[in-house]
Amino acid sequence: MTIECVNPEGLRFNQMKSSSHQTLETRMRPILMKGHERPLTFLRYNRNGDLLFSCAKDHTPTVWFADNGERLGTYRGHSGAVWCCDISRDSSRLITGSADQTAKLWDVKSGKELFTFKFGAPARSVDFSVGDHLAVITTDHFVGTSSAIHVKRIAEDPEDQVGDSVLVLQSPDGKKKINRAVWGPLNQTIVSGGEDAAIRIWDAETGKLLKQSDEEVGHKEAITSLCKAADDSHFLTGSHDKTAKLWDMRTLTLIKTYTTVVPVNAVAMSPLLNHVVLGGGQDASAVTTTDHRAGKFEAKFYDTILQEEIGGVKGHFGPINALAFSPDGKSFSSGGEDGYVRLHHFDSNYFNIKI
Amino acid sequence: MAGSAPEGTQFDARQFDQKLNEVLEGQDEFFTSYDDVHESFDAMGLQENLLRGIYAYGFEKPSAIQQRGIVPFCKGLDVIQQAQSGTGKTATFCSGVLQQLDFSLIQCQALVLAPTRELAQQIEKVMRALGDYLGVKVHACVGGTSVREDQRILQAGVHVVVGTPGRVFDMLKRQSLRADNIKMFVLDEADEMLSRGFKDQIYDIFQLLPPKIQVGVFSATMPPEALEITRKFMSKPVRILVKRDELTLEGIKQFYVNVEKEEWKLETLCDLYETLAITQSVIFVNTRRKVDWLTDKMRSRDHTVSATHGDMDQNTRDIIMREFRSGSSRVLITTDLLARGIDVQQVSLVINFDLPTQPENYLHRIGRSGRFGRKGVAINFVTRDDERMLFDIQKFYNVVVEELPSNVADLL
Repeated sequence: MTIECVNPEGLRFNQMKSSSHQTLETRMRPILMKGHERPLTFLRYNRNGDLLFSCAKDHTPTVWFADNGERLGTYRGHSGAVWCCDISRDSSRLITGSADQTAKLWDVKSGKELFTFKFGAPARSVDFSVGDHLAVITTDHFVGTSSAIHVKRIAEDPEDQVGDSVLVLQSPDGKKKINRAVWGPLNQTIVSGGEDAAIRIWDAETGKLLKQSDEEVGHKEAITSLCKAADDSHFLTGSHDKTAKLWDMRTLTLIKTYTTVVPVNAVAMSPLLNHVVLGGGQDASAVTTTDHRAGKFEAKFYDTILQEEIGGVKGHFGPINALAFSPDGKSFSSGGEDGYVRLHHFDSNYFNIKI
Repeated sequence: MAGSAPEGTQFDARQFDQKLNEVLEGQDEFFTSYDDVHESFDAMGLQENLLRGIYAYGFEKPSAIQQRGIVPFCKGLDVIQQAQSGTGKTATFCSGVLQQLDFSLIQCQALVLAPTRELAQQIEKVMRALGDYLGVKVHACVGGTSVREDQRILQAGVHVVVGTPGRVFDMLKRQSLRADNIKMFVLDEADEMLSRGFKDQIYDIFQLLPPKIQVGVFSATMPPEALEITRKFMSKPVRILVKRDELTLEGIKQFYVNVEKEEWKLETLCDLYETLAITQSVIFVNTRRKVDWLTDKMRSRDHTVSATHGDMDQNTRDIIMREFRSGSSRVLITTDLLARGIDVQQVSLVINFDLPTQPENYLHRIGRSGRFGRKGVAINFVTRDDERMLFDIQKFYNVVVEELPSNVADLL
């Protein structure tokens, strides 16, 4: 999609199915958030849902008001693309992982840089544990350094913060990126996924590998993204194999698969309805040199249970790299290669969709 | 629109191909063959701190031109590299330059020339970012800025100078920029730099450089006339060329609007304005005077636009580019000053209010919207007098330009 024509009623949420029980149309008026000068990489709401944090390749994570999309501030200090972020439960601390080989802790309110974790390789994924006492950070492989998962203790007082790792988990294939690692239930485990297409569950205490996804039913290509359900009972992964898969968080049993036609760069789960969203598009390097009909930069909505596509939202003119639902499930945001964050507040009709 | 382009016009495909073959054929001893493809940056033998800079920039995998183009440049070979707009040429030559610098010697070792100040500043920014971990000192040496400041910076010592020809020549003549240690010479938008407008300046600069120097020329368009000139100052270059009918960006939807008369273009533009302002757009016209005229007309109809062209003072040009890049201004009216190289993330629409007078600039202009990873749209305003040219462009570059749907929302 290239030009967006906003009619007085806003952008159409394109309905894929219809039935006698169904409202025929829903409309959402997206808010376009401009501020990043390079592609988006990650989006995250705080726990209350009033703030939206975005990361991009332009070094400056940004925080926005999640109701109207106004920019609240930026966090300046990284000297490379920022791949990921997380916000503490009380919204006081932000952690960011960057290609400049550091992860940084920030004071959310003042934008002050509190601490820098230094690695010998780009930092890819960051996630605070429940209680915010720990953070799991993944690093890419780099010149003699294998990709790894690091567990850091997060001090309550920034003055007491140290950079040492509590635990370092080595990836079986050290040259494959670990694109995402998050805490499992009760901080007892760490769940990771990456370029080798395998999902792994690690013991967060001992570092032992507990489970690995079944090759037969698992992803066939790199895993790009991972999203946990609010209750930590299951999680969703997106992959370049053009599917997203829903997994049980404890047993690593595959529950559902959602199939689309383009690589999936981002996934999100509604906290309110049984809906999942997939975003992606053809590889960025091929976008400008292949026919313009090949992009498919829509956020695709699926019924979680039935695995059927229920609609899509157009708007981006580059691949979607990031998706997030607000904690109340009433809005969602997408970030694209085009540098835009798009914030959508669902129309009441969205909540009445029936298949 | 019928018939083929008359022989000898700029869009005569047969003559273009014939001249290209004449330059290339039987000249195998003039070129170096290099066919290696490197599918990751790690495999290119780059030094560690350059790799750090490349990954920090956010690159993960090399693009097609980078896979083929970085390594021969790093080996000190002369190179001619052509690739579609927005596919990674700047990072290719920046990496090649950075790999070969001696950072302990704070003297100018590489000179990069670009046709416009805006483009030179953009290249300087990429060079600085990729060279961050190497401690590179790079300076943008462009006209319209303080000569004294340039002299001070150059005399303090830099590793790389990225500039526009006029100011660079001036600094060389004044010996503020000393050429003794320059061993790499890069021409970006090389066909423009070797065209009638710049050729003499390039020649004058080249005369002041050391005799043994590595030369790299880069552009999305490389007509045979430009290739012919490269023979005079390059030594057995490695060439990466793209056929003229593969140059266009298929990912950019290209449309025309039949406005019939020149006088009706303004109304058409105003009709489209609401669409323009949703995202970021560039409107190209052919003369500076017309930029001013169109800007006044749009503003008098309460349409917010910004404008830039070569006659404006540099401070104003810089402010306008900054505002446009950050998205605080959304519609920019300009000349071909910005047709080449400029990379603004959120530009998704280009309007050719006037069709370009130089054929290559058609590709360059529309390449401002479709950039690496982003689709774009180009809309051409066509009068009766323009129909022939539009037909010729379509045929020459093997591209389809459709009529703009009456309902612009259909583009969603």
